Amino acid sequence: MSQQEDPNRMLRDAVTAFAARDTSIARVRQLRDSAPGFDKAVWKTIAELGWTGIMIPEEYGGMGLGLGEMAAVLEEFAKTLSPEPLNPSSVLAAAALLHGDNEALKKKLLPGIASGEILPALAWQEAEGGIDPLAIATRAEGGALNGGKRFVFPADADGYLVSARSGNGPAVYWVEKGTAGLTVEYEPRADGTRCGRISLKNVKIIDAQLAASGKTAGAALQRAVDEATIMAGAELLGVMSRALEITLEYMRIRVQFGKPIGSFQALQHRAVDLFIQKELSFSVLRDALLQTAADPSGLGLWASRVKSRCSEAGMRIGRESIQIHGGIGFADECDIGLYLKRAMVLSAWLGNGAVHRRRYAVLAPAEAAA
Amino acid sequence: MQAQDWDKMDDEAFRLEVRGFFRKEYPEHLRFPAYHLRWADTKDWYKKLVDKGWAAPGWPKEWGGMGLSPSKLLIFIEEQERHGVARTPDMGIILLGPLLIKFATEEQKKQFLPPSLRGEYIWCQGYSEPNAGSDLASLKVEAVLDRDEYVINGSKTWTSYAMDATHMFILARTDKKAKKQEGISFLLVDMKTPGITVRPIRNLLGVEVFAEVFLDNVRTPAKWLVGKPNQGWTMAKALLGFERISIGSPKLAQTGLKRLDAIVRSQGLTQDPAFMDRYTQLRLDVADLASTYSRFADLLKRGETLGPDVSILKIVATETFQRLTELTLEAAGDAGAIGGKAAFRKDSVDILSPFYNARPATIYGGSNEIQRNILAKNVLDLPS
Repeated sequence: MSQQEDPNRMLRDAVTAFAARDTSIARVRQLRDSAPGFDKAVWKTIAELGWTGIMIPEEYGGMGLGLGEMAAVLEEFAKTLSPEPLNPSSVLAAAALLHGDNEALKKKLLPGIASGEILPALAWQEAEGGIDPLAIATRAEGGALNGGKRFVFPADADGYLVSARSGNGPAVYWVEKGTAGLTVEYEPRADGTRCGRISLKNVKIIDAQLAASGKTAGAALQRAVDEATIMAGAELLGVMSRALEITLEYMRIRVQFGKPIGSFQALQHRAVDLFIQKELSFSVLRDALLQTAADPSGLGLWASRVKSRCSEAGMRIGRESIQIHGGIGFADECDIGLYLKRAMVLSAWLGNGAVHRRRYAVLAPAEAAA
Repeated sequence: MQAQDWDKMDDEAFRLEVRGFFRKEYPEHLRFPAYHLRWADTKDWYKKLVDKGWAAPGWPKEWGGMGLSPSKLLIFIEEQERHGVARTPDMGIILLGPLLIKFATEEQKKQFLPPSLRGEYIWCQGYSEPNAGSDLASLKVEAVLDRDEYVINGSKTWTSYAMDATHMFILARTDKKAKKQEGISFLLVDMKTPGITVRPIRNLLGVEVFAEVFLDNVRTPAKWLVGKPNQGWTMAKALLGFERISIGSPKLAQTGLKRLDAIVRSQGLTQDPAFMDRYTQLRLDVADLASTYSRFADLLKRGETLGPDVSILKIVATETFQRLTELTLEAAGDAGAIGGKAAFRKDSVDILSPFYNARPATIYGGSNEIQRNILAKNVLDLPS
């Protein structure tokens, strides 16, 4: 993107400065397979930079900006492979609360979410996974939650926005960590982070915890998931861009048969095809941000377009980067594998390419010849 | 017809004006032709464009063009595609005109531009040769100066519209000792000159659009050399601007998708999940092509110049369209080898012509493999 075209240059520069000062691949490696899997001090830094509040309105202590600004930050942030849950907490969870209808709860939580003091997670999927936020088996009845949630990230949140089915249709409840009846088990993710499998047994709830209910809850969940899905596309774009840069640099310096391997046409064409996939990802994300800013009604359709392209492209660039690196690419000491594994996580999260192709086919049935 | 300042007009108003003219004046039977039409088919339409003052939308007004800015020119082309307006033998307008305007002498401009605009001179392009395809710079056609004339020998091929052309612009070697790109000149030739033989070549559609052109001691005036001697390669390269985006237009693929959908429904393929996954992937590919096209178009509209990365557009557009025609053949099943309009339940669709037309698209204008070489070197900065 040319500089004139990018209104978010300053936000991007801030992430570049963060990347140089506050994080490194060594830090990312160190945090792998640890608990909670990210650094709370770094989360605080991220909050001080304002990124946790980008999409939270100013009246709740945020910056009141939109998906375009968030995408710019997330794309750059993802290049660092930092495990801090910026999209899961500051987009997915925050949006489910923000688009709910409990004003008192918003006033209570959103300023803390924006300032980084409260780290929320959205607990919306259940054992089978899937991308339909209304496929809920967890029950809210008799003043208690009963059921189970899966793929919750971050697993170690300060509280969970839990979707449930109530007499009034879908509902979203805020449940703080440590509440009686709520237990968290952990499942390891490919990139060394971990997600939560939450069990809810007679977790007592009161109306003050009800973030959204009925149609509002359904719409808030769908909007949160769609926004986070587009933002996952931005993260994938960041990961694939950096993976491709690293691979191209390796092609320039790795010598075999007396020449840099990047001079071989078979590998050059392969690299160009990866570059094309990255550019297509950029194109669809750019268009999605432009079009949804002008008309938010197509959010779901754009989310599926973005995620199907970016998931496939991210996975392909990750896999083929390993191949182009040769033997060293399969060694854990080589950084390229870290990018593949993050691409795997971001691809699977919120629906992979195949899932979103199916959704696109439903949302946008083909138009026959007139 | 008084020259109008189109750029003062609002984009949407301009679009409607262009659309209205095509709707009113363009012959219905020539819409969305299955293959490139010959001059005999399109000359009446071209005459209408001339009378309207719209024959050369990209040329400056002083030479009789519409003087459109890049963004207005894009709109013009988009409307042409939307209505299915055929290309005329337009090499003189699209390729030669801008080159003459930039590099030719005043005398040459006066001699060649007005009759080209009026459709009295029809041009063909003599670049490729039997042994100079992707490696165009190794071309062998030679032009030797003999007092005030160049004597040209050799043969050109894949020359579209050579049978219709009155004139030809060619790249010929004028210095055999120089490095291969540096000994090439840009010359104009009258097709009636003795020594020219045109042998039409039948293509896979069974029609003759291009030809081989033999040049046997063909004499052309030395003053018909454009630019400086041995600068032909650089000049020809410098003008590969606008086609690089128009070749990436998603229109062809979008129209093809509608055709495919009619077949998908009549064959009951919507119930086949394996087919539907690939079909949906194709639809997403076409949508992402459109997003990529609009991204480069927006750059042009803002007056920025396109970088070498625009080559991805040609690759994506042509390969997406190829996949589309392949899936169409597959969806057609038994009808996938029936020529002409094959009947499906409700519709009749030409399956084969788009499939054939998609083949040369990845070959001409620098094959997609050459485009990948260019991207690897100039954009990805890979070593050679």
